Amino acid sequence: MAQTNPYEVTAAEIYEIIEESPTIRTIRVKPEKSIPFKTGQFIELTVPNIGEGPFTPSSSHNIADEMDITIMKTGFVTDHVHKTNVGDRIGIRGPYGTNYPINDWKGKDVLIMGGGVGMAPTRSLFLSLLDQVDDFRSITFLAGARTPMDMIYKQQIDGWRKIDKVNFLRSVDRVPEGEAWDEEVCLITKLLNKINIDPKGNPVVVCGPPIMMKFGTMDLIKYGYEDCNIYLSMEKKMYCGIGHCRHCVIGEYYACKDGPVFTYDTIKNEESIWE
Amino acid sequence: MIVKAQDFTSFLIKCQQESLGGFQQVIVPRKSNNSEEKQYLFEEVKQGAEPVLDAFRTVDPLRVLFYFSRETLIPVDKTKKRLIVGAKGCDMAALQILDKALINNDFIDPVYKAWRDQTTIISTDCTEISDSCHCNLVGGKPYTDQNYDMNLSKVGQSYLITVGSKKGEEFIKLLKETVQLTQPQGDEKDKIKKNRKSIEARLNQHNAKYNRSDNYSVLRKSDIEGWLDDAKNCVGCGGCTNICPTCYCIIVNDETTGKEFVKVRSADSCQFHGYAKVAGGDSPRHKMYQRFRNRYLCKFDYMKSNFDTIGCTGCGRCIDVCAGEIEFREVVQKQMQLPKAQE
Repeated sequence: MAQTNPYEVTAAEIYEIIEESPTIRTIRVKPEKSIPFKTGQFIELTVPNIGEGPFTPSSSHNIADEMDITIMKTGFVTDHVHKTNVGDRIGIRGPYGTNYPINDWKGKDVLIMGGGVGMAPTRSLFLSLLDQVDDFRSITFLAGARTPMDMIYKQQIDGWRKIDKVNFLRSVDRVPEGEAWDEEVCLITKLLNKINIDPKGNPVVVCGPPIMMKFGTMDLIKYGYEDCNIYLSMEKKMYCGIGHCRHCVIGEYYACKDGPVFTYDTIKNEESIWE
Repeated sequence: MIVKAQDFTSFLIKCQQESLGGFQQVIVPRKSNNSEEKQYLFEEVKQGAEPVLDAFRTVDPLRVLFYFSRETLIPVDKTKKRLIVGAKGCDMAALQILDKALINNDFIDPVYKAWRDQTTIISTDCTEISDSCHCNLVGGKPYTDQNYDMNLSKVGQSYLITVGSKKGEEFIKLLKETVQLTQPQGDEKDKIKKNRKSIEARLNQHNAKYNRSDNYSVLRKSDIEGWLDDAKNCVGCGGCTNICPTCYCIIVNDETTGKEFVKVRSADSCQFHGYAKVAGGDSPRHKMYQRFRNRYLCKFDYMKSNFDTIGCTGCGRCIDVCAGEIEFREVVQKQMQLPKAQE
């Protein structure tokens, strides 16, 4: 039985901030004690005297002494995350929830779809897979953003594309005047037409805004993926992270402890999963 | 063992005044002065204000004495050794549900657990029922037959004592130091059985028009139109969830000002618009009828899956408190009978 106080917070110092897009930044933090996690799990990040929110690390799960967290400015707490500076102190508790079962994926073709800030948790997965890249037959990442300016992790993309077995495709919904882009211009789901993976028995991970998750899942089913192999990162309002507050409940499931990683077959009959 | 009601009340006052047994607080139900109807409130026992140990449940649920509307989780709020007397069957059943929700393998709410550990509970049999009481509809009883530290059943001007735990044993030792207990005459148990049966009969008769099956899984299938209709008088005030003995939804706030982190939890309600709203504005339950329906499904379906017991103990407080005068029993019965639920 759990004995320690589940709300215990570990302090962490921000040592670097990377502005990924006008609304998304990555804060790189050093926690006072290491925070081991499995990719797919999330943490609760505290901005002192402001509040906390659930975020999934975007760094590899093989690194526990430091953590990258990519955060979009979209509400009260995240606005304050965007006001932090290098040297500021934040708090972290966790990790919580379920992870991607990457050891079950050995020898398989892994497909990842990450839309917008949904690329953040999937980058953690991607980097964790890269740490043991020999174990997989191939890793395909489909990344989508609204405009080229909104596309995150621009600095890393060239390096990732040089890795054998990695196929990294990107698309934007539109290219506003004055922005340069020589890759695909289409909805992220249309990138499925550009790949050639046998969907039977192979895993696919989807993370992004609700509308992308919904239509992405539908298109993956059309493509031939099986419900039990479609891994969805269901980010609901995970206030407490431990199955206490009930805000994230999807029917009988808690997004925070039964998820946030669910396979589609588990939750497809629950209501309002895409909202 | 038998204790005279008058002696027991005097003992409670002495216990409070002299901190007998280390009890820092003795809490009992008292009749409210603010209402012409019979209403009972949990309060610290005091001289000159007669406790009402029998009758029916209090206005506020027992939960609020174990899970306050605002408590500090880090650093853990201080608790004290307490004695609560006069808890009723519905509240005791609710406490068992909260125990599953708040003290389990995944996590322990440190403040709730401290209050539970520090409190001795003496339950009493109901001798009356209120208009909204309906424990009989959810498999409950107007008395407690498990999980109490000690139970008192009224026989004439005395109580028959039943001890149910180690804390109860310690309490009876303490009681014996001050009060003369007597041996039962022999017919007390029959008298108690008779009283219990008669209260149960009254409940059955009182709630006969709301009778329903216990196959609550049909609620999930019920028509959306039915919920729209039932929710039309709901103003989303959250009164029902705040007074429910088994509702425990909270928000966690950070109130750190110095070096040490400070985490505070406060009561929340799934009836509020922003409850499930995520950053960016999406919410699985934007509409009032969706949130209204969520409460019913949470009680009768989700909590059943989570804790292997439905989340309603039939206390009826949500009926008393409702600003829209929504009759909970009627809604459950009607929803279960709607055509889609019957499919």
